[in-house]
Amino acid sequence: MGRLLLIWRLAARDLRRRPAQAALLLAVIAAAVTALTLGLVLHGVTAKPYTQTQAQTAGPDVVASSVGYGGDSAAFAALAHAPGVVARSGPYPVAWPALQAHGVSADVMAEGRDQAPAVVDQPKVLQGTWVRPGGVVVERAFADALGIRVGDTVTLDGEPFPVAGIAVTAAVPVYSQVCFYGGCSGPAGRPRQFDTGLVWLTQPAARGLASPANPLTHYLNLRLSDPAAAPVFVSRHQPPPGNGPEALTSWQSLSAAAGTLVSQEQNVLSPASWLLSLLALATVAVVAGGRMAEQERRVGLLKAAGAAPSLAAIVLLAEHLIIAFCAAGVGLAAGWLVAPLLTSPGASLVGAASAPALTPATVLLVVVVALIVATASTLVPAIRAARISTVRLLAGSVRSPRRQGWLIRLSSGLPVPLLLGLRLVARRPRRTLLSGASFTVTAATIVAVLIYHATVHHDALRAGPYSGAADPGQARVDQVLLVVTVIMVILAAANALFTTWATVLDARRFSAIARSLGTTPRQTASSLLVTQLLPALAGALLGIPVGMALYGAVQEGGSQAGLPLLWLLFLVLGMLAAVVAVTAVPASISTRQPIAHILQSETA
Amino acid sequence: MNQSGEPVVRARGIRKDYGSGEGLVRAVDGIDLDVIRGETLAVMGPSGCGKSTLLHLLGGLDRPTAGELWLAGRRIDEMSERALAHLRRSDIGFVFQAFQLMDELTVLENVELPALLAGRSPRAARRRAAELLEQVGLTQRTAHLPTALSGGQRQRVAIARALANDPVIVFADEPTGNLDSVATTELLRLFDALHTSGLTLVIVTHDERVAATADRLISMRDGAFVGDTRLAGGTTGNLARLAGLDG
Amino acid sequence: MQQEVLLAMLAKEPSAGYQLRARLDRALGPLGEAMNAGHVYVQLGRLEKAGLVARREPTGASDGPDRGVFELTPAGQERVIAWLGEVSWPKPDLAEFHLKLIAAATARIADPLSIIDGQRQELLRRLRDAQRAVMAEPARSDAWLLLEGIVLRLQADLRWLEACEGTWTERKGER
Repeated sequence: MGRLLLIWRLAARDLRRRPAQAALLLAVIAAAVTALTLGLVLHGVTAKPYTQTQAQTAGPDVVASSVGYGGDSAAFAALAHAPGVVARSGPYPVAWPALQAHGVSADVMAEGRDQAPAVVDQPKVLQGTWVRPGGVVVERAFADALGIRVGDTVTLDGEPFPVAGIAVTAAVPVYSQVCFYGGCSGPAGRPRQFDTGLVWLTQPAARGLASPANPLTHYLNLRLSDPAAAPVFVSRHQPPPGNGPEALTSWQSLSAAAGTLVSQEQNVLSPASWLLSLLALATVAVVAGGRMAEQERRVGLLKAAGAAPSLAAIVLLAEHLIIAFCAAGVGLAAGWLVAPLLTSPGASLVGAASAPALTPATVLLVVVVALIVATASTLVPAIRAARISTVRLLAGSVRSPRRQGWLIRLSSGLPVPLLLGLRLVARRPRRTLLSGASFTVTAATIVAVLIYHATVHHDALRAGPYSGAADPGQARVDQVLLVVTVIMVILAAANALFTTWATVLDARRFSAIARSLGTTPRQTASSLLVTQLLPALAGALLGIPVGMALYGAVQEGGSQAGLPLLWLLFLVLGMLAAVVAVTAVPASISTRQPIAHILQSETA
Repeated sequence: MNQSGEPVVRARGIRKDYGSGEGLVRAVDGIDLDVIRGETLAVMGPSGCGKSTLLHLLGGLDRPTAGELWLAGRRIDEMSERALAHLRRSDIGFVFQAFQLMDELTVLENVELPALLAGRSPRAARRRAAELLEQVGLTQRTAHLPTALSGGQRQRVAIARALANDPVIVFADEPTGNLDSVATTELLRLFDALHTSGLTLVIVTHDERVAATADRLISMRDGAFVGDTRLAGGTTGNLARLAGLDG
Repeated sequence: MQQEVLLAMLAKEPSAGYQLRARLDRALGPLGEAMNAGHVYVQLGRLEKAGLVARREPTGASDGPDRGVFELTPAGQERVIAWLGEVSWPKPDLAEFHLKLIAAATARIADPLSIIDGQRQELLRRLRDAQRAVMAEPARSDAWLLLEGIVLRLQADLRWLEACEGTWTERKGER
């Protein structure tokens, strides 16, 4: 027990001595953890929301739209009494007015309903109240897309209706896919202005919106004795295919449709979160490695004071575990806060509103990953330090720079900044490689995102009814990508900053000697810039093919738009410029100190 | 050739302060100095007297708090860092007490570095480095790393490096600080040879032997000069008596 | 120089006087010239009187002390072995200078600091010569070793003078 306390005290004291570094490390791990949390939450949400909505709204097993029956209303009506059907609601009248709200025009499916709850498919009201005379209830995803709130007034075919409530249902396909399944009607010849949304009215109001040019259709919800057999029912009773959509849809198809929306985001967030974890791993390794160099002397002191080698290693490990634990907490909290914004899955589904985003399993997994990341990157340096003799540790000679003869020869004839920069790079190959790897990951992510945007816009131009921009699934994926990219860039910047700082410190003596031999301040600062620019350039160039491969792997085939060369050029130049911006200040500060002071304070 | 009488270094009223107010430390206090071309000057004093600080100031590695300083005819106390760098490339060689070699470069690469930084071609730099290493007697060790060398050998590498760009003046900070008797003898022989070839040397030392072989010996205490002597020799007859040979 | 040195040099083999002189010369390097040639023969005479060496007459008749081969007697051999084992060291002579300074200060006839400074200059001059002599000899040779010893002793003396200077300066300050 005493030993644990000792370890705790040593670790805590050391962390207090270097709060900025600890904070940076914490931020880095927290960022990765946030992304991981989001990925896991989204993953957890995918499977269930449709089922949840179905349960909470008495969702139907089969839905039928009279649109697909053409004029054969007898066959449509007969469905209600088909064998296997144990309950039904409807057929409900459906009008197809044009809705206007906040200056946007949209087509809607306006279903007429009773005020009294139905046996099958009673949409769950999330805000406000259910339909009442003169009022309209708007489906949630559609309301989100247009920014409609309870109390607003919308017009249907010019007639004003106050919005009485917002609700969700499992009976109609998820917003933006409404027309895909049951099919949409509307005034002939008029192209759809917007992705068709769903609203509910009282039945008289719905009937009032019909006109000879824009007739009513009907919608029927069925419950079967054997819900699992719904696809069989559908195939048996499906009317012969005309030119239109299929009239009957099983709940399994509706569930799959709901799933695809979320899985799009899933497709993006899952690899992104692993990439971010990789980047975090690399950053933490660099940070830990850099801390290790300073720590080695402390470990030496600990050992010289009688601490067993294992104790010294454990104290250092403990520090990073403490940080990782706190970072896991921060990341989980951040992920929990951000998740509702992203994972209101299709918003048509109940998921985010009522179900808790974080399950104990998620929390556990995230914490474990954070601890692994911290441990993995500190384990090697800690063990090394513990095994190396105390004398060498105290002499500070353990992390002596490496020698790369070929690189030294190569640099001989080059201008001074490259001459010194290459030699500085050669001194710390592991740090350079880590830095290059993190730049590669960053560049690859950005390239993948750019390809995604290019492909989507390319497709959107060819696509039909969907205006793309208002597609909420699309908008959500874009949001997710933006968040991921922002986190990625922040991580990369933190990595670059830390690597620069570590390099500048490590290169102090080297730079001071070079200055004493006649290197100007500008040349010195440039050489430090070179040490960061080289891995950045390599990472940016390597990231392009890696990003393309990444996109291909994630999208599993499918078309991939080529990226204009100009964008790629901007990407590379942008990364280099960002590195220069981050590096310039520490680099030039380091050239100000008088040479004599630096050399006197650094051991040989 | 040597124009004796024209000072390579001229210092007037040089002062260096550290800290401020209560914590003010005056490391160098009002030094005036002229160093003539081709002379060997030794500066001696107890530790903490400011001799190393003075050397750093004269060599342009630090800026004086007050005073005027000329080196090779140019005023350096107000020079920009960039101009000082150019001066270090061409006119000044500095030998540090801790050698300050780059551990990841071989002996040859260490010595050729100043020439490379000055823009000479790699081949020319390498040739010059090889010449210098021969001059200091380290031809056998050119491909070794500094860590494989003894203290005396490292010191000679540092001297060779300081000579790489044919400086006008070489400053050496405690060059025999870490050396044994044999290495000291060899180093003093080297300094003697450099002196003969016309190099101006300013050596800070606490070793009386080094001071005794200089043309001029300055004693420092508490940041100021307290003695300035030129030494002339006696005869070997005296030495015999010192050895206990009474004849 | 002690007579035991000559005894020890005879321990290897009997030698003539001039041979001994030559060997001494080599071992002393440039300082060998200062050695008085006659001194060796005087010492040998004394040793012979003390019964520690015996002279072996050459074939030809001779009466000069520079003739003949000398060899150790058994007593001489014992003496050599005993001498080699002795650990006495030449006496330093600091008291004289020390008292000089005190006398000057007490009687107020001279400033101790200037006495010290003068002595220091002299020692530095000697050090300069000694160091130059050292530099002229190959490292680790016999001559080099002897001269290095002179240098190091002078260095030690100079350090003591530094201590004297520091102390007397403080005393001056206190007055």
